[in-house]
Amino acid sequence: MPRVLTFKVNIETGKQGPNEPVHFSFNGHKMPFEKVIGSNEPDAIFEGSFDVNSFAHSLTLVGPEKGKWEIEKITVDYECEGEKPYAVNWGAITLDETSEVNLWQDPPIPAFDV
Amino acid sequence: MNIIKRFFSGMKQKDEPIKDTVDIAEPVAELTASEPTASETAAASERFADEPPAARTVLHAPVISQGVFSKESDEILIKAQPSPTGDQCMFTVNRMLMKGCSWYFDSFESAVESSLAESIFSLDDVETALVCEATVTVTRKDKTLVDWKPLAKEIGASIRNAMQEGQSLIADKIISSIPSEDVIREGIQKVIDEEVNPGVAGHGGQITLLAVKGNSVTIQMGGGCQGCSAADLTLKQGIHTSFRKGVPEVGAIFDETDHTAGLNPYFS
Repeated sequence: MPRVLTFKVNIETGKQGPNEPVHFSFNGHKMPFEKVIGSNEPDAIFEGSFDVNSFAHSLTLVGPEKGKWEIEKITVDYECEGEKPYAVNWGAITLDETSEVNLWQDPPIPAFDV
Repeated sequence: MNIIKRFFSGMKQKDEPIKDTVDIAEPVAELTASEPTASETAAASERFADEPPAARTVLHAPVISQGVFSKESDEILIKAQPSPTGDQCMFTVNRMLMKGCSWYFDSFESAVESSLAESIFSLDDVETALVCEATVTVTRKDKTLVDWKPLAKEIGASIRNAMQEGQSLIADKIISSIPSEDVIREGIQKVIDEEVNPGVAGHGGQITLLAVKGNSVTIQMGGGCQGCSAADLTLKQGIHTSFRKGVPEVGAIFDETDHTAGLNPYFS
């Protein structure tokens, strides 16, 4: 469970998007993204980041307050203390006012050729 | 808004003095007076805003794998990935070793006629080997050593040798002994119901069988097991042992528990 210095999301919205402010939840605390570019309206790309500087127990993308949000792809770039920067890609998922989606994945376990 | 108005109406009526006489025009005036002011409404909104939001369900989108090997190759490529706990190491090969099923070798004797396992068990420090699809997961005897590199290189060479020899990597008698998914499911469920769950119930835990694919099973640890620091120990020393004793043909056992999600993970 490393200390997350910063993370950046890139979210591709499909045919249905709420076009409302995007929030994430870090260790149960709901917050808006910083350095936002784009939106989550249909077929748009949203980019946002946050300088966390805290240990990650959970990180989720919160669903819209109203309506459905069809997400085609999510990419998260993480920078964690003592780790090489890494990125994780997730596939399609649909969120609504009752759901959120996990955005946390531990740094990859080092592998070597034998 | 109506609820807020009613709340304030009720409060106001309670505080008002009881009157002996009421004229006809007064009820209308009283109704107007009981309407909340802007500041009262704002205060009520602030009060309700303090309530925690309704819990949401945490979903898991499919992870798009980047692939272990950067390019296709005619050569046998092997990646070694020691576990964070250091007790085992997974070797991923760019070829299929056992398609659609898996097998757990717990001793040198169990490796007879399986050239892949025989080759791996020829190394002194190997305790067990689990072959699953394109991977081999090895545990070592010496638990005090955390540096896998020397042994991993030897295991990599053993896997490569066995594949180049061209003999059956897994014994035919093992392949033919693997029962159907229904038999595996029934047997594992029985072990969960009769042995595992009664055991972990004392700690508020619960194990659920999520899926059976071939002879590999996927479970989820819930209740007090979720997020518990001893979950890995419970899984490896308790659940694995019970499963393999009850259903000897079971292969890989995957844990799909998200130990950080849910409404009541252990760490919270």
